[in-house]
Amino acid sequence: MHMTESEIRPITAAASTPVDDLEVLDEVFTVRDLNVYYADHRAVADVDLDVRERQITAFIGPSGCGKSTVLRCFNRMNDLIDIARVEGSVLYKGIDLYDPQVDPVAVRRRIGMVFQKPNPFPKSIYDNVAYGPRVGGMKGNLDDVVEQSLRSAGLWEEVKDRLGDSALGMSGGQQQRLCIARAIAVNPDVLLMDEPCSALDPIATGRIEELMKEIQSEYTIVIVTHNMQQAARVSDRTAFFTAELDEGTGQRRGKLVELDDTGTIFSNPADERTEAYVTGRFG
Amino acid sequence: MTATVPLRAEGVAPQATGPTLGARAVGGLLEPLIFIVIAMLVALAEYVVAGPIRDFPVSNFWLAFVLLALADAWTWPQSQTMMGTLTGQYIATTNGEAATPLVIAVRQLARFGVLYGVPVLALEFDLVWAVAIWLICGAIVWRTPGRRAPWDLVADTVPVTGIGAVGQVELPVLRSAADLQLDPRRTSQDAMAGRLMFLAGLVSVVISALIVWNIFREAWAFVAADEFSWGLLKGRGWFPRRGEFDVGTLLVGTLWVTGIAMLVAVPVGLGVAFYLSEYAPPRLRRFVKPLIETLASIPSVVIGFFAISFITPTVLSRLFDDIAFQSVLAAGVGVGVLTVPIIASISEDAMRAVPMELREASYGLGGRKVTTALRVVFPAALSGISAAIIVAISRAVGETMVVFIAAGLTGIFNTNPLDPGQTITGAMASLGAGTDEVAGSGIAFQSLYFLGAVLFTLTMLLNIVSDVIVRRFRQVY
Amino acid sequence: MALTEPTTSSRRGIDFEALKARRGADIPGQIFYGVILAGVAVAFFMVGAVVWDVIDKSWVIVSDRFWNFLTSASSSDPAKAGVVQGIRGSLLIAGIVFLSFPIGISAAIYLEEYAEDNWASRLIQVTVRNLAGVPSIVYGLLGLAVFVQSLRGITGGSSVLAGGITIAVLVLPIVVITSAEAVRAVPASLREGAYGLGATKWEVIRTQIVPAAMPGILTGTVLAIGRALGEAAPLLVIGAVGWYTTGNNDFLDQLQGAFTALPMNITYFARDVAEIWSPHAAASSLVLLLLVFFVNLVAIVARARISKKLGR
Repeated sequence: MHMTESEIRPITAAASTPVDDLEVLDEVFTVRDLNVYYADHRAVADVDLDVRERQITAFIGPSGCGKSTVLRCFNRMNDLIDIARVEGSVLYKGIDLYDPQVDPVAVRRRIGMVFQKPNPFPKSIYDNVAYGPRVGGMKGNLDDVVEQSLRSAGLWEEVKDRLGDSALGMSGGQQQRLCIARAIAVNPDVLLMDEPCSALDPIATGRIEELMKEIQSEYTIVIVTHNMQQAARVSDRTAFFTAELDEGTGQRRGKLVELDDTGTIFSNPADERTEAYVTGRFG
Repeated sequence: MTATVPLRAEGVAPQATGPTLGARAVGGLLEPLIFIVIAMLVALAEYVVAGPIRDFPVSNFWLAFVLLALADAWTWPQSQTMMGTLTGQYIATTNGEAATPLVIAVRQLARFGVLYGVPVLALEFDLVWAVAIWLICGAIVWRTPGRRAPWDLVADTVPVTGIGAVGQVELPVLRSAADLQLDPRRTSQDAMAGRLMFLAGLVSVVISALIVWNIFREAWAFVAADEFSWGLLKGRGWFPRRGEFDVGTLLVGTLWVTGIAMLVAVPVGLGVAFYLSEYAPPRLRRFVKPLIETLASIPSVVIGFFAISFITPTVLSRLFDDIAFQSVLAAGVGVGVLTVPIIASISEDAMRAVPMELREASYGLGGRKVTTALRVVFPAALSGISAAIIVAISRAVGETMVVFIAAGLTGIFNTNPLDPGQTITGAMASLGAGTDEVAGSGIAFQSLYFLGAVLFTLTMLLNIVSDVIVRRFRQVY
Repeated sequence: MALTEPTTSSRRGIDFEALKARRGADIPGQIFYGVILAGVAVAFFMVGAVVWDVIDKSWVIVSDRFWNFLTSASSSDPAKAGVVQGIRGSLLIAGIVFLSFPIGISAAIYLEEYAEDNWASRLIQVTVRNLAGVPSIVYGLLGLAVFVQSLRGITGGSSVLAGGITIAVLVLPIVVITSAEAVRAVPASLREGAYGLGATKWEVIRTQIVPAAMPGILTGTVLAIGRALGEAAPLLVIGAVGWYTTGNNDFLDQLQGAFTALPMNITYFARDVAEIWSPHAAASSLVLLLLVFFVNLVAIVARARISKKLGR
């Protein structure tokens, strides 16, 4: 399936206004009619959104409204769950991620993920960061790659003398930065972050937010967060999700309510549900 | 002691130390085992091609030797050997380049020559000398700069942990879905691994099938034989060589041994289980639990010896004057000792699985510890405890060596536990041990398989019952 | 006159004093506790008695010529006889069992990581559990019927190879069940992290799951070796001899033809010969116990070190 130049140009969503300096950014993800089922339960319904390159896009909303589920569709992590089924189209740079020819492992090489609770491997710091490259086929001396990644994650100065120590001996904030370094080491295009700071203290959270803004110029970032203020601080665009009650089955389904520039979402949202959430009236 | 080996050129990363000694030792230990396997495969191949080989000819040995060295050099990527892929070491020349397969082959030949060839040729494989040579080589490796072994000195190589970054693997340009693919080697490895794991899983099914097929086939041969008649099964004793196959004798013996064993094991096992679960303070628990595990690890032959060496002379003779040197009672007590850990550990697990809330409710209502233990915990854990007892019974029914050593194995129909007796397993062992192992040679020998079928069915039924009890009656909280 | 008697008990009509007295006695509780403790004491006594008896009865040999006993071959002279052939045989069998571990661990990995909920995987699970409950002598029958016959060409029939394979088959279920438990216990976060970095299923298993499950797998394999060292019933049926009456048997010769193992030696000494060999039975029991305890100790130490590295 060969995409011509014109087809790869971004499709600007009707509701969103262009960024100030009229620089039209490429879309990295284009999602249309996304529905995710766990066995018979429809967990996420009819989501349309797009993610632009080198921007930080935040997914916000109360718990249980499918933010993480949608996130995990971007790197096919939902494949690991037997009963999960994805319908609709998720295009990554114009290519359907769920095309049968696509190997999910190759997807995850280009689209990395950082999880809610830091999950360093029970190995040394060096081996944690070197894991991705090694598995990806890089052999021999990885010192440069490891140093590079740790620097990008802002961890190098703290650990450069103890690369051989176990990663489990670090503090929570350090471990999470290590996970980020680990994800960066394979040089992905996109970094997906699923509530990366929810298990951390405010200082560690602040450092990671700083880090995100630093690396934004190299990676497209999508972050799921419970913390509205974090989304306001950090993201360029924000998507607000909510959970609807399905009258027929009595089950809750996640839906995308609104996707817009962060400033607009927080000061002048189009949908009243968005306004209710961001002003704290519910959630 | 670390020392550097000067390595020129950029291809090889300068190493301060080679791969760890521990890693190399592990690799070095696994190699002989793999070598033996290859040698046996060569012998097997020769047998298939050329007929039975009675001796373990040296020619097989050298053939395997050369094959291993060549296979080591050729099949592993990136200038590694078979062990190198496990230990993370690569072979580089002192010029700073990755070693070619030829160089590696020379190195491996030298290595096997020193480690295996010298002991075999010169010393006729005396194990002690072989170990001595290996230790000497280990010492040389330890002491030489760059951890080089004698064969490294021969081939002019040095083991390293990295040979320069091969570079970031290039990601293909994305034009279509077909480009989101992996290096085909990884995909095929993954698929192959999946298939191998499945085959490994099938092994147990194959084994089960083999057991059932062989045992029941021979048992059928027994029943279908000319000399056989069903009346033989109700004789006056078990004397296979005389053609008397009174299964009743064996069943009585088995019942006695099992019954006595349970009389011993159930109180002791449950006592230990209650103690560990309800009463023991954590400090004491750390003593008692390993004790039970120690008891569990004592082999049954030792218990058999213990039965006639201690239980009979010291304990039973004092209680019963006319007890024989080998007796059903002694065997029963021995089997009881053997099964205490089974009852103790399974029951303890069942008791500990009862949630604390139930106990707290009982205490809150004014119950004392004994009340709680007996009227709350015990009933709640009952399915697990019953399962434990049934598993122990199954073990007792199937126990052979204690009976073989301590029970006397006479074929006379006997209901007095103080006399020698015979069980199903004892009879099987006698048959198995007493004859030359030619299968199908006579009805006396085939009765072995007949008993095997009986025993197999009996223990299988017991295991099924215990499973059903656990599943049906387990209280789920 | 000050009131010296407590008024509460008489006021409410409840005799608290009497109640307290009864509570303090708690006869049934004490009896039960006593019974429990007696059970534990008996268990202690059992272990102690076995160990003491083995050492006591073997002291005659141990104090005099233990090393000689370990390195001498069989002999008709009690003063010179040793169990070196039994030790070699047992070690060979343990080695063969060791080589079979990858199969058991792979089967466990299949059950935990690959198997879907279909009839094939349920069949495998059921057969593994059933095999675990089959008496060891039945495995001997299998060994006799299958392994002795099929290996007759190479090894001349009953051989340590047949014995080793039979016992490897016997302990397979133990390895599978304990390894499966260990793999199941590996936290999902570890898997997710590895998959998230673009590793294939096999790579995740090989680089993360198996190393993380190592402590449990070690326990299982050690249990298996301990069991393997102590098994005699299958060997009996396969045709292992209890005792060589001819001199030293070469290491390579042991790979085919008549073989023996420590448990067989113990059986023979204990049962088949005159009283004069009783110390030898005890001494070989001691050697076997030491071997089993040593193997357990190595595993405990290795397990503790690996657990520490994994941060548990």
